[in-house]
Amino acid sequence: MATLGMLDSANLNGGQKLAVKYFTVAIVLFGAQILFGLLSGLQYLYPDFLYGVLDFSVNRMVHINALVVWLLYGFLGSVYWLLEEESQHEVVGLKLGNLIYWVLTAAVTVVVLVYLFVQIGPGKESSIWLINEGREYIEAPRWADIGIVVSVLVVFFNVAATFSKGRYTGIAGVLVLDMLALFGIYLAGMFYTTNISIDQYWWWWVIHLWVEATWEVMVACIMAYGLMKVLGVSRKIVETWLYIEVALMFGSGILGLGHHYFWIGTPEYWFSIGGFFSALEPIPLVAMVVHAVFDAGARHAKNNNHPAMAWLIAHAFGNFFGAGVWGFMHTLPQINLYTHGTQWSASHGHLAFFGAYATIIIAMFYLGIQRWRGGTWMSGDLPGNGWKWKWALGLLNLGMVGMTVAMLVSGYVQSQIERAIEGSTWMGYFAAQIHPWFVQGMWWREVFGVMFLVGFVLLVWDLLTIGKGESRKMIEVSNAA
Amino acid sequence: MATSQWWASESFWRKTAIWVTGGSFIALILLTMDTIPQISTGSKRVPAYSVINYRISYKFDETRHVQVPVIGAKEPLFGKELNEEEAEALVKLGKLTTQSKNCMNCHTLLGNGAYYAPDLTKSWLDQYWGTKEVREVQMLEFIKDPSDKVHNSMGRRMPKLEITDEEARGVVAFLKWMSSIDTNGFPYNFKSIEQEN
Amino acid sequence: MIEPASLGNFFTIFFTSAMVIMLGALYALLFAFSRLKGDKRLMPLAYLSYAGLLISTLFLADAANLLKHPFWTVIVAFMLVGYLLAPHAIWHLCVGTHAAEHVEVEPIKNY
Ligand code: HEM
Ligand code: HEM
Ligand SMILES: [Fe+2]
Repeated sequence: MATLGMLDSANLNGGQKLAVKYFTVAIVLFGAQILFGLLSGLQYLYPDFLYGVLDFSVNRMVHINALVVWLLYGFLGSVYWLLEEESQHEVVGLKLGNLIYWVLTAAVTVVVLVYLFVQIGPGKESSIWLINEGREYIEAPRWADIGIVVSVLVVFFNVAATFSKGRYTGIAGVLVLDMLALFGIYLAGMFYTTNISIDQYWWWWVIHLWVEATWEVMVACIMAYGLMKVLGVSRKIVETWLYIEVALMFGSGILGLGHHYFWIGTPEYWFSIGGFFSALEPIPLVAMVVHAVFDAGARHAKNNNHPAMAWLIAHAFGNFFGAGVWGFMHTLPQINLYTHGTQWSASHGHLAFFGAYATIIIAMFYLGIQRWRGGTWMSGDLPGNGWKWKWALGLLNLGMVGMTVAMLVSGYVQSQIERAIEGSTWMGYFAAQIHPWFVQGMWWREVFGVMFLVGFVLLVWDLLTIGKGESRKMIEVSNAA
Repeated sequence: MATSQWWASESFWRKTAIWVTGGSFIALILLTMDTIPQISTGSKRVPAYSVINYRISYKFDETRHVQVPVIGAKEPLFGKELNEEEAEALVKLGKLTTQSKNCMNCHTLLGNGAYYAPDLTKSWLDQYWGTKEVREVQMLEFIKDPSDKVHNSMGRRMPKLEITDEEARGVVAFLKWMSSIDTNGFPYNFKSIEQEN
Repeated sequence: MIEPASLGNFFTIFFTSAMVIMLGALYALLFAFSRLKGDKRLMPLAYLSYAGLLISTLFLADAANLLKHPFWTVIVAFMLVGYLLAPHAIWHLCVGTHAAEHVEVEPIKNY
């Protein structure tokens, strides 16, 4: 029976029990990501720190791989979270789903241990199969790639079959097709070629078509579900908007891929394609912000989970600023020629990944913990006025904005000195790296990184304690689901 | 008002979403089919691996307003001319080495990767290597053991990555070949090593 | 195809391109608010944002050498028109999609 205010898995349906496992690993990996980010950031300031033990390349690889994996875990968890409610049916292969969860988690653990303790191999294909592939973001060795593909296919069939047996909603339709595309695209990054232009051509299929197309649609599905749950918006509206977003996101994002094909050997016509579709890419993000405000305004922002709602709003704005504003600032080839591959890219990458994806997964964590504790009150008047979630929200967002601005300053100097004046030579590179502004930027990045870490610690503490011993039920929002 | 506008209806946007997605994807496939041959090895933009038998320079092009790679006189790498297969094998060894040593998580290649160390797109042409006579030896020595070679006031150094002599030669071949790729003028305003005799 | 920006124009480019997107959003929001609240005084502010967007776009176009090439000039024109009309379209969509809300008296409970 449901118990209020206590962590009790009887409060969850089958899919949700599996979801919270995914969420738990996601949080652990999020912590690892921050730790290794701080280590790599520190090496900018003290190059001898851990030199030859855990080199920058290793720390950075763990940092960005943990990022990709925790977000994917967040997505899988979110899908399992909403699956039974959405389909009105039990997850068909829950046992298998659990098994796959353990297989995936074991594989991730082995991959990370190999990254940390083996690190590099000889220049042979066997290294790529067993140790790491040496291609940013998708370094996972080939054996793990294959394992990942098999695992996610099982998840996919599990989800598709559950929807087929139960109710096939509009969200379900988009979600299933998007999962297929998301996993399918991964295959484009799974082969070796000596030709680096072709290598990077397909590599960008994975990276760009993930973050600017399939992942955006994935979070649009989660957002649609979240708006129904938290604000009680009607299904008809969220589903229509889901289709609108899909049309705009895919319509601009798929060919927006062109903004990565300016300088890797590809023909000049990509300038036009990249320029044109990049100019379109912010429009869906603006539409989303306006619609969110419209929706919130229409129901006077009455909602049953304040932390989740706050993180959903952070998502709408973070997506807009990180991807829309920061993306557009360096996307025209006339300027990308100088910013390409500088701290500029890193600045944009941080704000976009955090703003668009970390935020909404955190919102799902809050929905998860609320239900896990039996559907407790999470609106105003929390004990201590909810200071923990509020401070966590503030510190994480401020920390991220601080880091982003710091890297922007460094990137600005770098694009001028290294790129425009010195022409990307070795000397030019270091001339920029020792410029006082650049160095200051790297210091502030680390300082704000620590602030981010404090926010994370508070977030975890809050997730562990919020709703504990709470005796009030959550607010009912009208719901036409 | 019971009937909503057609342009605001769910079914209209469902169809639009499907058509827009399908259309964009087909356009991308067609563009890919056009691009891949243009960047295949041995094309105008991405030369064959045997290009390492020649001098490669990076010169300003009056019509394109940026620098472009120019393939010049015969100048075999390590003084030994290789046929197409041998050249490919060597470059392949180099590329595999860059992947298994994880170069891309410190450096950028064609501008993509990490920002802790210089871009490698034109590193074959970098003035840092001194003169064109000592360049090859300098590169080999550096790649095999950079740990005692600090070249900046910050003390940032590349680690020693257990790269064998043969692998190092492969890496140099790969870097030389990469510098011949037509990258539409990236990096801009690059200042090349002196190569004229 | 493109004429790379010159060093002196970097700041203008970063600044104006950020302004284009932010003013675009501000315009869209003010427009929606004005209609939502029936507050006519907000509308001039909305169009003022658009005016700012227009100026930013022109500065951006100049700094990034966009007007020196027909293709990029068309993109600039396209952005000016597109960002003018998009908020209208978004607003109409918001209203249009929510029109059905009042009709849906009984939620679909067919499971
Ligand atoms: C949530 C969405 C987005 C995410 C997570 C994201 C993330 C990233 C990341 C991590 C990189 C660096 C890749 C690397 O390591 O080399 C990158 C590069 C880039 N992004 Fe985004 N991005 C997003 C949306 C956008 C949008 C909407 C635009 C354009 C309007 C854009 C334009 C670019 C450009 C031009 C680059 C290349 C930078 C370079 O040349 O180095 N991005 N993005
Ligand atoms: C304490 C917080 C963090 C610190 C100190 C930190 C530090 C770093 C450092 C030093 C790099 C390497 C950049 C380079 O190659 O020069 C990096 C890369 C990256 N980090 Fe973080 N990071 C932090 C948090 C995050 C978070 C929260 C996210 C996303 C949600 C993130 C996403 C990324 C991405 C996408 C890259 C690759 C960027 C690119 O290649 O352009 N980081 N980070
Ligand atoms: Fe992109």
